[in-house]
Amino acid sequence: MKGSSEVRLGSAGEIGSEQPFLVAAAHELKAPLALIRQLSLGLEQGSYSSDERLRMIHQIILTSERGLRLTSDLTRTTRLDDSLFALETINSRQLCEEVAHELTPLYKAQNRELRVEGGRRQILAVGNRDLLRRILTNFSDNALYYAGEASPVVIKASSFAGGERVRVGVRDYGPAVPSDVWHRVKKHLGTAPQALQSRPASSGLGLYLSGQFAGAMQGSIGATRHRDGATFYVDLLASKQLKLL
Amino acid sequence: MNKPFSVLIIEDDTWFAQQQTRILETAGFIVRHAVDGLAGIEAIDTSTPDAVILDIFLPGPNALVLLHEMQSHADLASIPVVICTNSVAVLPQTSLTAYGVKAVLDKATMRPHDLVAAIKRELI
Repeated sequence: MKGSSEVRLGSAGEIGSEQPFLVAAAHELKAPLALIRQLSLGLEQGSYSSDERLRMIHQIILTSERGLRLTSDLTRTTRLDDSLFALETINSRQLCEEVAHELTPLYKAQNRELRVEGGRRQILAVGNRDLLRRILTNFSDNALYYAGEASPVVIKASSFAGGERVRVGVRDYGPAVPSDVWHRVKKHLGTAPQALQSRPASSGLGLYLSGQFAGAMQGSIGATRHRDGATFYVDLLASKQLKLL
Repeated sequence: MNKPFSVLIIEDDTWFAQQQTRILETAGFIVRHAVDGLAGIEAIDTSTPDAVILDIFLPGPNALVLLHEMQSHADLASIPVVICTNSVAVLPQTSLTAYGVKAVLDKATMRPHDLVAAIKRELI
């Protein structure tokens, strides 16, 4: 885990070969665009009830938002080296709540639940709000496709390493990830995305972008495989702010 | 009145599968949906559909594993399969015919009637 998660890559343009990155980005964008097109064609040509048409329109909106998040992340990652990011003290639990609130409509539309767990104690991390939000959104977007229908996806912030580090993880409860697939996920975690899927429905682009964002905050990403799903997490330095008070 | 044909959609994108279902049900098919390879194999075993619409990259066993499994059972080998994927460019289409694949549809360019036409071509 450590080796792969601490790989620090440059901007997209510095990847050894740009082609796999472009192919992966194109592939990831193709899925939401293809779905939006199919739903739009359905609205144009099909004769569905008004309830069904509203459901389709809602799906178009949420799918386009997912595509837009990806384009925004892609744009953001090319600017990581252009300027220093302002690192600040972040209430990680509060940010988890915000991400859960933002993604709840998407989860609800998929009959899934996204919730935040953990105590009420503030867990303060040093990072950049925007980048951490993007990482957690990415992990939660990814978890949506692997969570079982009856099981929630859980975002949780905790401190470790004697309070020196903060881990914010997104846990999905779904079928166990086969070991060969898991090996590939771990191998490519945070490294350049693959032209083909490292985990089905994903080229690893989201993980790559998350790894870039974490690196810009002197953090790292990682993953844990469970018998009933997986946790993807980001580790950051803990803020000492409270200790100074 | 003839019994309607049944179609099994094996697709991990739930909303894409819902749209395929709307199209096929409007055309008079009975549609079932499996969200991954394992559920797909189970659904084929239990309901023996008249045709299968199959995405390529799935959680669990992927489409090629599933096609291989179908070909290894005499009663399942003749079920026509239509591949529906975003990854047409990387598919070895010539070798897919040996696995009972009758058509390959590109999710990005297909139109609703293409799906119905591909299924009807094999069943009617």
